[in-house]
Amino acid sequence: MKFLIHFAWKNLSRYRKRTVITSLALAFGIGLYIFTDSMLVGIAEESERNLIWYETSSARIMDKEYWQEKDNLPLKYAIDNKEQVLDTLKAAGIKAAPRTVFAGEVIVYKDPYPEDGSIYSKIFAIDPLKDSDVFRFKDAIVKGRYLKPGENGVLIGSWLAEDIGADVGFPLSITTRTRDGYMQVIDTTIVGIINCPNPYINRASLFIPLDTADSYLDMRGGVTEIDMKYSNFRKAASISSEVLEKLGPLAERVEIKTWEELAADFIALAEMKSKSSGIFLLLIFVIAIVGVSNTMLMAVFERERELGMMRAMGMEDKQVRRAFLLEAAGIGIIGSLAGILFGILLDFLIIHWGIDYTSILRKADMGYRVSGVLYGTWNPSAMIKAFFIGIFLAVASAWIPVKRGLKMEITDTLRNV
Amino acid sequence: MIQAVDVKKSYQTGETEVKALQGVSFSIEKGEFMSIAGPSGSGKTTLLNLIGCLDKADSGKILIDSETIHDQSKKELALLRREKIGFIFQSFNLIPVLTAFENVSFALSLLNVPEKEIEERTLILLEEVGLKGMEYRLPNQLSGGQQQRVAVARALIKNPLIVLADEPTANLDSKTGEDILKLMKAMNTKHNTTFVFSTHDQMVMDYADRLIHLHDGQIQSDELNPAAKG
Repeated sequence: MKFLIHFAWKNLSRYRKRTVITSLALAFGIGLYIFTDSMLVGIAEESERNLIWYETSSARIMDKEYWQEKDNLPLKYAIDNKEQVLDTLKAAGIKAAPRTVFAGEVIVYKDPYPEDGSIYSKIFAIDPLKDSDVFRFKDAIVKGRYLKPGENGVLIGSWLAEDIGADVGFPLSITTRTRDGYMQVIDTTIVGIINCPNPYINRASLFIPLDTADSYLDMRGGVTEIDMKYSNFRKAASISSEVLEKLGPLAERVEIKTWEELAADFIALAEMKSKSSGIFLLLIFVIAIVGVSNTMLMAVFERERELGMMRAMGMEDKQVRRAFLLEAAGIGIIGSLAGILFGILLDFLIIHWGIDYTSILRKADMGYRVSGVLYGTWNPSAMIKAFFIGIFLAVASAWIPVKRGLKMEITDTLRNV
Repeated sequence: MIQAVDVKKSYQTGETEVKALQGVSFSIEKGEFMSIAGPSGSGKTTLLNLIGCLDKADSGKILIDSETIHDQSKKELALLRREKIGFIFQSFNLIPVLTAFENVSFALSLLNVPEKEIEERTLILLEEVGLKGMEYRLPNQLSGGQQQRVAVARALIKNPLIVLADEPTANLDSKTGEDILKLMKAMNTKHNTTFVFSTHDQMVMDYADRLIHLHDGQIQSDELNPAAKG
């Protein structure tokens, strides 16, 4: 075995050009794999974060009937004893914020807007004093200021503001229905523009104070949801069970949905994207395999006589195979290491500077909750995986040519015996 | 030591069947220095291939050390070649990435000989074949004659039962070729190793103690050469 390793190393260093070219093909594939993985993991992690910070919170308490009709944003299924629920949560050390979410048509008129028009929007009625305990909108104001309780002010998503030509100080009317189903118009003034990392918020969301909404919508103190911030969102399901227990009799009318349940569409989409990304990664590796196997094929055919000589001297087929495969493994190790270095370099760039996809994300909904610069993340496990995959690919791609070489009669390979 | 009994071998070339050997019988004793001679296509190489366990006869028997090789598996044949048969090729067939020393010691590495012994034996043999000081040169840094000397040393290093040489001087000039023959003869005398080589060169035949003439796959003559050179 020691001799075979020595022999493989000799061949690698002797046929330096071939070793370098083949390793580069592999390194390119490995590097791209690490880079792509870094991007995908980075986007997924950031999406999760932005989902929880700006959209779902860790978990949400809602009326038991609400979930069935959630797409209609029904106001009739409200939590009417919100103060008791909030007090219980506070006692349990869980930060919470009440909200009422409703649908409305935003109506604007020419002057100060560029033209008359209306647009459907999702309006979040938030408690300006408590919402920041759970969400991070306060830090996402790019123009104007945050909401004050009781005012007829509204915060508007930056992309929506751009679309309708809105600015701070502009009037904005929202037509909607009250809890009892009566038409209502809420006349507000834009007090601030939000630009957060979650494109769903920027694209079509409005925020008004909860007490203002309560009055307009005739909610009589009820809210459609109470959002909670857990210390560890990964354990949302188990913490939610504990919360339900603590709520005691209050839990009879409500249920808790974790962020994973609330964002089931995102989770499904992320899984689907992960699978399609797998196909992309597979293609990268196919390119690497073709490069490596082509070179290995050439290497074996070039050395047919050597292969015959080794067999004539009494090396068993398995030993000859091992010698060639060790050489391929050597190429795999060199290629993988080079690929990891290449991948680290690409990762470094993508982690520190990222890629600005604002214009694409602005126009198209890709399902990710990332709205601007996409950053990668370090993923050592992908690097370790890529290292072993690289070696495996190099060995596997040498297998067939070696097998073919060994199928030939020794006399044919030697020709001149 | 080696016996061939009514050995037949034919090849299919396209639709034509070529009868390379048509019932060849002979025996080889230890220490012989013999030549298989004949024109191109007479079956010399086929016969060497069969004795060297690189190919199998269609019928007849070849016995090496009283063992018939016809029924042996690929693995057993590989083992037989590893332990008992040395090869010298017309085109040297040295492994290009290995030095002269490594090419020779390669044969011993396969036999799991201790490293120290491998080194001692290889250096002694390389000195015997006149390559002292060139042990660590690669094949492409050696002349044709020097490469063939490495090949001779590689064939002899494991003290084989028999060394088979297929036209060992064909790629060398006459002076170098004769030097190689002298070297092989000296090794034959010193180590009592059996040498069987194929040739159609009269100069090479002149060195053989015994000459088998093949013609159209049959033995035309099998005679001793009392006036052999060397």
